[in-house]
Amino acid sequence: MALFGSSEKKPEVKTDFMFDTDSTINQSTLAKDIKINGSLESTDYIDFSGHLTGTIKSQTINLKPGSYVKGTVTADTITIEGEVDGDIQAKDIYIKSTAKIKGNIRYQNIDIQNGSIINADLFYSS
Amino acid sequence: MDENNTEMDENNSELASDEIQSTPIDNDSKAVNIGSGVRVDGRIEGAETSDVSGTLTGTLKSSNININSKGAFSGDMSGQEITISGNVDGEINSESYLIVNNSANIKGVIEYASLQVSYGARIQGTLRHRGSVQSYTPISDDEIKEDEISENQESDQ
Repeated sequence: MALFGSSEKKPEVKTDFMFDTDSTINQSTLAKDIKINGSLESTDYIDFSGHLTGTIKSQTINLKPGSYVKGTVTADTITIEGEVDGDIQAKDIYIKSTAKIKGNIRYQNIDIQNGSIINADLFYSS
Repeated sequence: MDENNTEMDENNSELASDEIQSTPIDNDSKAVNIGSGVRVDGRIEGAETSDVSGTLTGTLKSSNININSKGAFSGDMSGQEITISGNVDGEINSESYLIVNNSANIKGVIEYASLQVSYGARIQGTLRHRGSVQSYTPISDDEIKEDEISENQESDQ
C-alpha cells in the first residue's frame, strides 16, 4: 500500500515539471569571454555577448554590445547592439545605436537607431 | 471731406498701379515647395528647405529636404538633414541626419552620417556610412601578372 501511494505521487510531480518546461522559453546566455568557431543553433532565444566565426541561428537572437559575429546570423527576430560582419537574415531586425554592421541584410521589417554604423546592402522581402 | 476722399482715392489708385507695374517682392527664404500633384523635372540647387509632396525627377541640393508621404523623388539628392516619408529611387547623400519614416520606400544608394529608420520602412539598396573607411579589394599580384602576360602576348603577336 505504501509503495502504491508513492507511485501515485510521482506522476503528479512529473506532470508539474513537464508543464513548466513547456511554458518556459529556452533561453541561452553566452558571456563575453566565449569564442566560437563554427555554428551555434537554438530553437528559442540566444543572448550573445561573445565572439563567433561561423553561423548563429535561433528564433530570437540578441547580439549584445561588445559581441562580434563574422558569418551568418539567421533568426525571426534579431536585435543587434554589437558588431556583425557578414549576412543577416530575419523577419524583424532592430539595429541599436552601438551596432556596427558590414555585409548583407535581408529583412521584412527593419528599425535602425541613429548612431549605428552600417555599410551594407539591404534586401527587402515581403 | 469730399476733396480729401478724392485725394485718397487718387493716392490709392496710384499705389495700386505701382504695385501692378512693379515686380513681386523677392522671396529670400530659399524654400522650395512642390505640392502634391505637381511634377517637376530638373535641377534644384542652393535651396535651404525643400518640401516635396509632388513628383520630382532630377537633382536636388538643399540643406533640409523633406520627401513627404505623398511625395516621390527619383534622381540624386544631397543635403544636411533629410527626412523621407515617401518614395525615393536613386541616390541619397546626407551630411548629417537622415530620418526614414515608416511610410518610406527607398531604392538606391544611401550615404549617411546619422541614420534613423522607423519600423515598417522599406529600403532596397546600399547603405554607406560617411567616415567609414570603405573596403576596396586590392588588386592581387596574380591579376597584375596575368595582365602583364596578356599584354606581352599581345605585343608578341
